[in-house]
Amino acid sequence: MSIGAPDSSVGIEEHPASAEPVRASGVAHGKSPTRIAIDRLRKDKVAIVCACIVLFFVLVAVFAPLLAKLEGGDISTFNVKLVDEFGFPTIGFTSDHWFGVEPRTGRDLFARWVYGARPSLIVASVATLFGTTVGVVMGLLAGFLGGWVDRVISWVIDFVLSLPYLLFAIAMVPIVESWRGGAFTLSPEEQASTRFYVLIFVLSFFGWAGLARVIRGEVLSLREREFVLAAKAIGVSTQRILFKELLPNLVAPIVISASLALPAYVTAEAGLSFLGVGLIEPVPSWGQTIATATNWFKADPMYLWLPVIAITILVLALALLGDAIRDAFDPKTRR
Amino acid sequence: MLYFLGRRIISALSVVFVTLVATFALFFVAPTDPAGAICGARNCPPDRLAEIRAGLGLDEPKVKQFTSYLEGLVAGRTYVNGGVERDCAAPCLGYSFKNDRPVLDMLKERLPVTISLVAGAAVIMLTVGVTIGSMAAKRRGTAGDRALVTSTLIVSSIPYYIVALMISLYLTIFYPILPRGQWTSPFDSPGKWIAGFVTPWLVLGLVNTTQYVRYSRGSMVESLSEDYIRTARAKGLSDRVVTYKHALRTALIPVITIFGLDVAGMLAGAIFTERIFDLPGLGQLVLQSLVNYDLPVIMGTVLISSIFLVAANLVVDIVYSLIDPRVRLS
Repeated sequence: MSIGAPDSSVGIEEHPASAEPVRASGVAHGKSPTRIAIDRLRKDKVAIVCACIVLFFVLVAVFAPLLAKLEGGDISTFNVKLVDEFGFPTIGFTSDHWFGVEPRTGRDLFARWVYGARPSLIVASVATLFGTTVGVVMGLLAGFLGGWVDRVISWVIDFVLSLPYLLFAIAMVPIVESWRGGAFTLSPEEQASTRFYVLIFVLSFFGWAGLARVIRGEVLSLREREFVLAAKAIGVSTQRILFKELLPNLVAPIVISASLALPAYVTAEAGLSFLGVGLIEPVPSWGQTIATATNWFKADPMYLWLPVIAITILVLALALLGDAIRDAFDPKTRR
Repeated sequence: MLYFLGRRIISALSVVFVTLVATFALFFVAPTDPAGAICGARNCPPDRLAEIRAGLGLDEPKVKQFTSYLEGLVAGRTYVNGGVERDCAAPCLGYSFKNDRPVLDMLKERLPVTISLVAGAAVIMLTVGVTIGSMAAKRRGTAGDRALVTSTLIVSSIPYYIVALMISLYLTIFYPILPRGQWTSPFDSPGKWIAGFVTPWLVLGLVNTTQYVRYSRGSMVESLSEDYIRTARAKGLSDRVVTYKHALRTALIPVITIFGLDVAGMLAGAIFTERIFDLPGLGQLVLQSLVNYDLPVIMGTVLISSIFLVAANLVVDIVYSLIDPRVRLS
């Protein structure tokens, strides 16, 4: 017997009625690629540890009011008695204030820390959701429809990718504020909520293009495959082909892109807040706390270190988890 | 080839033009009132407000404003403020609302700082990154290689500004081991210029090096497994020549591509480094202008940075097609 193509008749003889190769009973039938990836992920110890850390921060964010109540503090009460005449806190970690109090205002740091997890995670996940959805739809349309639709969308993708992202993010803030009547007329709460939406808008606006480009490339090769031709031949509608035939084949790039986008957005949110163009008072956020705390870092290092540690660990866990997910879905990337 | 070049340049120009329209639309068509911001928002006499508006051309229709902005860019224009006429020569980006100076002059003042910062960091990240990356690729699979890959992954996952901030606070202020960031022109005092930039260069350069270690390692692993490398070894060439002459040259192509885009991106966004090390570059200018609602300055910076990015994209594309004959020119 020569070495050549595997004998295609093996296993068919006993089951003449079906073209399916016969498997020994008890052996599981084929697993879907997603299933295989999840199995791989489960065996990855780093991924499990990182997932637990991320889960911890999610729980902190969800139960922030409960945790603050447990401690007995809240984010906005000024405890002037707990700071001296120069603004330095007079207490350290106490049973009333687990992480101490903020210099100058005497606000409870534990409450501000647990509430600080919220904007990071909310902004990042909403931006990921928007960015991914828009990216997938644009990529599908451009890749599948081709022609002028493809040319227009590809041009827009190139355009977005060639904009200086950080500068635009910074420039967007005063503009959107002025749409709502200008920073001079807005109350602090209105201004803070405006900033919240600006952040989500800017992050998702710059986030969709990269994914759209990847999806477009994948679709270009998928649309020539037999199953798509078959679907077209039997008159399946374009919408159905896009979302029922093509989309399931794009799970891997979508999941990979989303899991890598999440840590990037957490980083970006805290970074913009640090620069003073992200979230502002009275919304507690880690990035903004870091910016204020740099002025007090010699006298009150914990004020700085708490948000720094939180951001670092959260982003690191998300990034390593994203990396593990990419390896699980696309084993070729690991060399 | 000519067709490709022409098409590519036209598409680059179209991106710059649309950026121009988009930034203009964002800044000036939006119901902003920069005149109010200049005059001091709350108690501004109405006649002074009208005068400022007229001086800035804000009382004209938006389309007219845009064409005069374009005209200013190409041919220069004249501003009238408080009865005084001022000429703004050819690439005119307008006058700063806040301190009443041509935006172009302000940008020219800041650009050397940002360029110094990025150039120094770029040298570090390319040389250190490629050296370590190709050494790791040769020792692929050993414990040292795995440790290196893991540590670069961890360092590059930590937000950059956290690393920079902590180094700045603890290694230049608390324990003054490294010199503090400071801007001195290299033409005034080269020694002071280097001293003021050492820390930012190291921080920006080394943190970004981690990416380059990974890029060049991956690219080197790929080129080391090519057939021509086996041929070169079979000819009896020394290991050194094979690695650094045959493999590295091919491996560098994709790394240089990313490098070109990164440098342009850094020119447009070294904001964190400038803010943390207190260097008066373009990024700092934008942050200050933001506080003052100084729209022409923000717009000028965005425009200049977009041009950097688009130009870098263009150059990289063209160079890439010249170096690598496999890239199709269509």
